[in-house]
Amino acid sequence: MGKIYQLDDQLSNKIAAGEVVERPASVIKELIENSLDANSKHIRIDVEEGGLSLIRILDNGDGIEEEDVETAFFRHATSKIRNDQDLFRIATLGFRGEALPSIASVSKLILKTSDGTNKGTEIRLEGGRVTYRGSTSPRKGTEITVTDLFYNTPARLKYLRTIHTELGHISDVVNRMALAHPDVSFHLTHNNKTLLKTVGNGDLLRVITSIYGSAIGKKMVRIEGQSLDFTINGYIALPEVYRSNRSYMSTIINGRFVKNYPLTKGIQEGYHTLLPIGKFPVAVLHIKMDPILVDVNVHPAKLEVRISKEQALQDLVTKSIKEVFQKTRLIPEVSNEKKQSKARSEQLSFSIQHDLKDNHLFNEQGSSMKNHTSSFNEDEVDDIPTRTNLLDKSIETKLENTNIPNPDSQQPITVCEGKEQQEGEQSAQSVPNTSNEEGNEYAVPTLYPIGQLHGTYILAQNDQGLFIIDQHAAQERIKYEYFREKIVEVDPTLQDLLIPITFEFTQEEEERIKERGNLLETVGIKLENFGTRTYLVRAHPTWFPKGQEKEIIEAMLEQLKEEASIDLKKLREETAILMSCKASIKANHYLTKDNMFRLLETLRTCDDPYTCPHGRPVIVHYSTYEMEKMFKRIM
Amino acid sequence: MKFTIHRDQFVQSVQHVSKAISSRTTIPVLTGIKLVANEYGVTLTGSDSDISIESFIPKEDGDLQLVEVEDKGSIVLQARFFSEIVKKLPEDTIDIHVTDQLVTTIKSGSSVFNLNGLDPEEYPRLPEIEEENVFKLRTDLLKNIIRQTVFAVSTIETRPILTGVNWTIEDGLLTCTATDSHRLAMRKAKVDTTNELSFTNVVIPGKSLNELSKILDENEEWVDIIVTDNQILFKGKNLLFFSRLLDGNYPATKNMIPTQSKTGVTLTTKLFMQAIERALLLSRDGKNNVVNLKTLGNGNIEITSVTPEVGKVTEDITTNSFNGEELRISFNGKNIIDALKVIESTEIMIDFTGAMSPFVIKPIENDNMLHLFSPVRTY
Repeated sequence: MGKIYQLDDQLSNKIAAGEVVERPASVIKELIENSLDANSKHIRIDVEEGGLSLIRILDNGDGIEEEDVETAFFRHATSKIRNDQDLFRIATLGFRGEALPSIASVSKLILKTSDGTNKGTEIRLEGGRVTYRGSTSPRKGTEITVTDLFYNTPARLKYLRTIHTELGHISDVVNRMALAHPDVSFHLTHNNKTLLKTVGNGDLLRVITSIYGSAIGKKMVRIEGQSLDFTINGYIALPEVYRSNRSYMSTIINGRFVKNYPLTKGIQEGYHTLLPIGKFPVAVLHIKMDPILVDVNVHPAKLEVRISKEQALQDLVTKSIKEVFQKTRLIPEVSNEKKQSKARSEQLSFSIQHDLKDNHLFNEQGSSMKNHTSSFNEDEVDDIPTRTNLLDKSIETKLENTNIPNPDSQQPITVCEGKEQQEGEQSAQSVPNTSNEEGNEYAVPTLYPIGQLHGTYILAQNDQGLFIIDQHAAQERIKYEYFREKIVEVDPTLQDLLIPITFEFTQEEEERIKERGNLLETVGIKLENFGTRTYLVRAHPTWFPKGQEKEIIEAMLEQLKEEASIDLKKLREETAILMSCKASIKANHYLTKDNMFRLLETLRTCDDPYTCPHGRPVIVHYSTYEMEKMFKRIM
Repeated sequence: MKFTIHRDQFVQSVQHVSKAISSRTTIPVLTGIKLVANEYGVTLTGSDSDISIESFIPKEDGDLQLVEVEDKGSIVLQARFFSEIVKKLPEDTIDIHVTDQLVTTIKSGSSVFNLNGLDPEEYPRLPEIEEENVFKLRTDLLKNIIRQTVFAVSTIETRPILTGVNWTIEDGLLTCTATDSHRLAMRKAKVDTTNELSFTNVVIPGKSLNELSKILDENEEWVDIIVTDNQILFKGKNLLFFSRLLDGNYPATKNMIPTQSKTGVTLTTKLFMQAIERALLLSRDGKNNVVNLKTLGNGNIEITSVTPEVGKVTEDITTNSFNGEELRISFNGKNIIDALKVIESTEIMIDFTGAMSPFVIKPIENDNMLHLFSPVRTY
């Protein structure tokens, strides 16, 4: 007699539940996904005792027709896909048809639903068995109540953590869902206490603000990016806001919150040298792509996905972030109160650009004011060439611009994003346009040194207030950008080795070397086959740091693994940082005004003038408003 | 530009002006030495915009032909390389030739260097100084004055004014004062002034004085010193040394110096210095350099130093004379050593005014120098 049996449905559902329904939070995740797939606009989640005694999800979605209600609890029963092709073009969050039966098999579940046409249906299940069928009110949407979760799987119950932990996971899940679907209103309560409530008007920034708080919300800037395959939009935090772990980087692909290492890496790369070591940014990115490019059928929880053209996406993310920061002023504000300064700051932001024009001339010709007025005369043929006129015009532009993303979203210190700016500009004549474009060349305004503090900090002013600049960090940044480019121009001469360096590779590594080994030769490294998977290097370029030859070659091979080129810039970055640090003026070093001015001017031409290569800030800004507040000139 | 120059003279000048050049600067052209050749000779300039040094090599010195200028002109060359190059050139003469694109050929014997120069037009001009307030000092005296004061300046930029030495002239008497607020060194000297010169708030950066002292030879030639509002110029033979002056008011130091004394001791400088050096052996680790001094009642004093983790040292010193009250005081021994090193007198006089008040060390032979120290409080 055979020993192999086909398991009955009850049992196989329980097994599936092991994967899908790990903890209360996963129940909520699955149910919310169902609600979202049913086009709900309002989703209410009530939880009691961390989800163990009660989970109720109430939505206003499509509902389930009466005849489908029971089928929904069959394994692999779904309305979301029908055939093979659908599996590769998944546009819905769910598709496996496992969630409902799995949840039902480990809990007591009540489902009330109606498609809004006539009477509603109610069904009750216990441990996966239907115990009641009946009808209910015809409210459009679905209400699912899950009680006594894991009552029949004591092992799982045993491993659940405290209510607090479970609740943490639940709010994580709901937060992610809310971030992924700003157009849906979420309302999460625990023991009748509201934990999260989003408006659902499609404004991502408001969702971010309700989740992370207004302090972070105010420091978020919009990001956009597009390539043939991908569209990115979302919000990223200014580098002055950072967290110590990676969990604040949210990536959402086609409405699905995913964890994807290359994506987070792309984000971090975008913040490169802007954040201190070991700190991570806050970011929410929505990425849209053809569903065929992403495979979500990796794990039942669908948190991990596989993306085709992963490298291209990573590069796009990095590039988009860098672009935003190049156009945004990243000078941290010193402030406690930010709210009231908003109206003022609109005005201030213009004077930045205005000033920049000034400076441009100053650089070339030395005397600023005179040239400044005359040049405006030339530009503005018919307009009355007054400062106020220009000012007004540009405030209008500025306001227009800010309206496009969201009036609340603009930071006092951001010079809004270039793309929108140009759009706005076109409507506002060409005069401020040119001046602004020139202005955008340098993100730091002209600063006039007042003096030096403790031989370490340069105090500088302009019409926006006081700026404090760390002289060492500033020059370090300047030198770093110089050396970063310079360091790639390496000497091609080779140093022969008396005793060659031996490398032993794995099968996989060897394949890679065979495929891309010629790239190594372009940087002067020739791997010589020496028996099975063993290679010899008999000479290396002279620029290799002493004693680190092997590490450098290994680092290069590591690079080849990820991309099809060797990036010397990246490899030698540490050297560049070290060189820039050594070549820079130190603290406790007197500077003349000339010196300070030159330093500030050079700093302005940097790509990223806000942080030193170690990620520490270079400039800190006290706005005039803050100063006035501080001295209670305004209350 | 094209000229031939005597190597030894040239090397010395290059080394002199290099003293002003800092490898770290925010103005790139200042990493170079500016060379100007004209019918009178060759002028070299180095600057970090704080200190500027100009050295002139005349066409001939006595009978000796030093320079032969074929074409006039100027160039700025990277100091880092240029000074090393000229030092190592093989022959006694050097040919320097600048072509149109700022490329400079340096030739000596069979050795030929081609250096890329910088545009001399970018080089900042030296400050123009009106020669109103002028006085003279002999080089050896100037060097002494610097040596005897500059060690006491503060090296920390938190109070920038204290990083300099305050020079004042009143009634033909030059008083130089330096302090880092723990100790103070003062040196007085008679000067020759052409007119009724007097000034009070001239503060010369300590760093500038150090560099100046290094390039002055020990000789008896005169140095003209010209003071303006924000610059000071030292004018020696074929040498100009400009330094900025520090901004701000130097604290009034006159009334800090006690006029009477409660305990007066005279000591042999060498004995006292050696005793403190020994006492410091133990306190060096603690980095506080605290040394205790106690009068023993029999005219002798006892020097002790204790570092709890390491141990203790005690030494009795015989005084040459003692008068006044018995006393117990602690001070920073390192500061005392610094001062004793620049006191040339064989015997010194210490005037104490109490355990918590500053005390004065003076040479016994003359009155032109004074060192003031604030004690360390120990509990």
